[in-house]
Amino acid sequence: MMPASAIAFYLIAAFLLITALLSVTGRQIFRSAIWLLFSLLGVAAIYFWLELNLLAAVQIVVYVGGIVVLIIFSVFLTRGSVQELPTLKKSRHFFALLAVISGFLFTVWCLWLYGYRQKATDAVVADIRTVGKQMLSIEAGGYALPFEMVSILLLASMVACIAIAMKLPDSKTTNTLK
Amino acid sequence: MFIKEYIKEVYQGVSSLLKGMKKTGYYFFHPSEIITQQYPDNRHELKLPERFRGEVVMAHDDNNEHACTGCTACELACPNGTIKIITKMDLTPEGKKKKALDTFIYHLELCTMCNLCIEACPTNAIQMAQTFEHSVYDRNKLTKKLNQPNSKIREGVE
Amino acid sequence: MFSFQQWAAQIHSFLLEKTGTYTLLIECIIIGILAISLFAILGLVLVLMERKVAAHIQIRMGPNRVGPAGMLQTVADTLKLLMKEGLVPRLADKFLFNLAPFLVMMVAMMLLAPIAFARGVQIWDINIGVLYITAVSSVSVIGVMMAGWSSNNKFAMLGAMRSGAQIVSYELSAGFSILCIVVLSGSLQISDIIASQESGWWLFRGHIPVLIAFVIYIIAVTAETNRAPFDLAEAESELTAGFHTEYSGMRFALFFLAEYINIFIVCALGATLFLGGWMPLHIAHWDGFNHLMDWIPSSVWFMGKTFFLIFLIMWFRWTFPRLRVDQLLNLEWKYLLPIGLLNLLLVTWIAIKGWHF
Ligand code: SF4
Ligand code: SF4
Repeated sequence: MMPASAIAFYLIAAFLLITALLSVTGRQIFRSAIWLLFSLLGVAAIYFWLELNLLAAVQIVVYVGGIVVLIIFSVFLTRGSVQELPTLKKSRHFFALLAVISGFLFTVWCLWLYGYRQKATDAVVADIRTVGKQMLSIEAGGYALPFEMVSILLLASMVACIAIAMKLPDSKTTNTLK
Repeated sequence: MFIKEYIKEVYQGVSSLLKGMKKTGYYFFHPSEIITQQYPDNRHELKLPERFRGEVVMAHDDNNEHACTGCTACELACPNGTIKIITKMDLTPEGKKKKALDTFIYHLELCTMCNLCIEACPTNAIQMAQTFEHSVYDRNKLTKKLNQPNSKIREGVE
Repeated sequence: MFSFQQWAAQIHSFLLEKTGTYTLLIECIIIGILAISLFAILGLVLVLMERKVAAHIQIRMGPNRVGPAGMLQTVADTLKLLMKEGLVPRLADKFLFNLAPFLVMMVAMMLLAPIAFARGVQIWDINIGVLYITAVSSVSVIGVMMAGWSSNNKFAMLGAMRSGAQIVSYELSAGFSILCIVVLSGSLQISDIIASQESGWWLFRGHIPVLIAFVIYIIAVTAETNRAPFDLAEAESELTAGFHTEYSGMRFALFFLAEYINIFIVCALGATLFLGGWMPLHIAHWDGFNHLMDWIPSSVWFMGKTFFLIFLIMWFRWTFPRLRVDQLLNLEWKYLLPIGLLNLLLVTWIAIKGWHF
């Protein structure tokens, strides 16, 4: 008999794969977005299964709460989101298949390179303090640089957003636009 | 200064919201303020507000006299044709002809209790009564004649 | 003194003896049943409470005919909703239309997991409890949008979009206020956060910045649960009923229930973070007083605090007029967010310097 955790894993994996397939094969764009949501939730479930709680929660916050909501918003704002998408040409099918296969091969190759070694040490407990320390550590293995990079990127995009949204009452550009 | 304005705005916003909450909170904790009338239960000790309007009535005194001259001001004032005044020609003691009220027809089913007729009446012949249990099984019963049979205009009302 | 902890331990050992390996499964089922019945009871109680509070604030009596003092009114309403036909519009996306209420409900159920109801009564003491709640609650907006889109109704769609914009933006402020407490207690785990309030609730120990965080939290969660004065998503006078315009019968009841469950959950979280959860009112060094407070069962403390916050939110609803869309976004981006950010800095400073009591 399979242990319960294995059953859970296969259930989650099946859910993930089915929803992912439905999301790329669906002809209705909003439904695709919803299937995408479920497959992302499936990934989060896998993380929970691995007891990577922090990662799972971040997955939900960033992908489900952020990205999918953005996608749904843009679907709402597109006209004709109610109609079905047209079926693709045959030649496109070929290239799509090619892309999928090469992506799959690439993933397999990466996994191959990693080569599942037996770990001698116990799994790291993702304590929130350790995560925080690691995030700001400037020693080897620390993430201070990527962290700062991301914050600068976010700052830049925020400034850009403000610049786009800002009204310039006296500027010449708005006058000429009128 | 921008910051000063900002803080002032926040302060004003919060304090005005708190003021509102104080009022509603007072009502919540003082059930004696409740104004609901539990109507069919307290039918006998019902307290109606002073300005409650139930229907238009015409007051008659002991001599079966009213104050309506039949001027039709109320009929004209009524926004939805509730009132119909039928006049007749009376002979005054001096032998002159004079217009007088014959029938004051009041369609309760059309009335919106807007009080305009009462305000229009120059002689205060009609008033608003507080009776409100008007339901009947026949619509025709809602068409009322307000002047009592054989009533006539009070002496001295012009 | 009675305590749930002992009961749970007794049941656990009993089950272990009788059923052996299936204990976990049976316990899961028991907890599921408990959670569902809690939902049902909460729905009934909260709807009744809302109607009574609304009535008294508006100088009315509220429901007073069904049962003693109108206590059974919501039971009658639920029965009525059960009997009603669940209509599906002809051009609606049937699958998503049926899925949406269940998604919203499922999210509400998942949120129940890390809430600590009393000393030792917690379904899942996950080590990232608070983050888990923020993460999972962000999924419920998708249920709302799904409902709005699949109804094939313009009002529903508009309501869903408003709701989406509102929830996404107010999540930020709520997050910042939650972070304040996380900074002070140094943990995301619900049990740790409660334990850190042993010597006093954060609301009292954290000076004015925590008070500000508390106010921001309450405002933000009122907006997140789409309640007046932030009920633009279902503004009756503008959008008939917003995203659930087309829903009827039990599907509507699920939305309705989920709204109240969400209110309960955010208030429970607020009580946990700011008012110490099930921790009785303790004041450092007043041992006699603390012992006296310990006599009141922890579940009573938790429920009392949660219902106090729920009352506060209901009080808001029946006092304030609805905001306009631009006012709503102004409030978030121009007031709550900058103040929240500054406040977080202040709290961090206090936490580093150890200035809190
Ligand atoms: S109260 Fe208004 S509606 Fe009624 S009879 Fe008088 S004028 Fe007409
Ligand atoms: S009730 Fe008054 S306004 Fe109407 S006809 Fe008589 S006197 Fe004129």
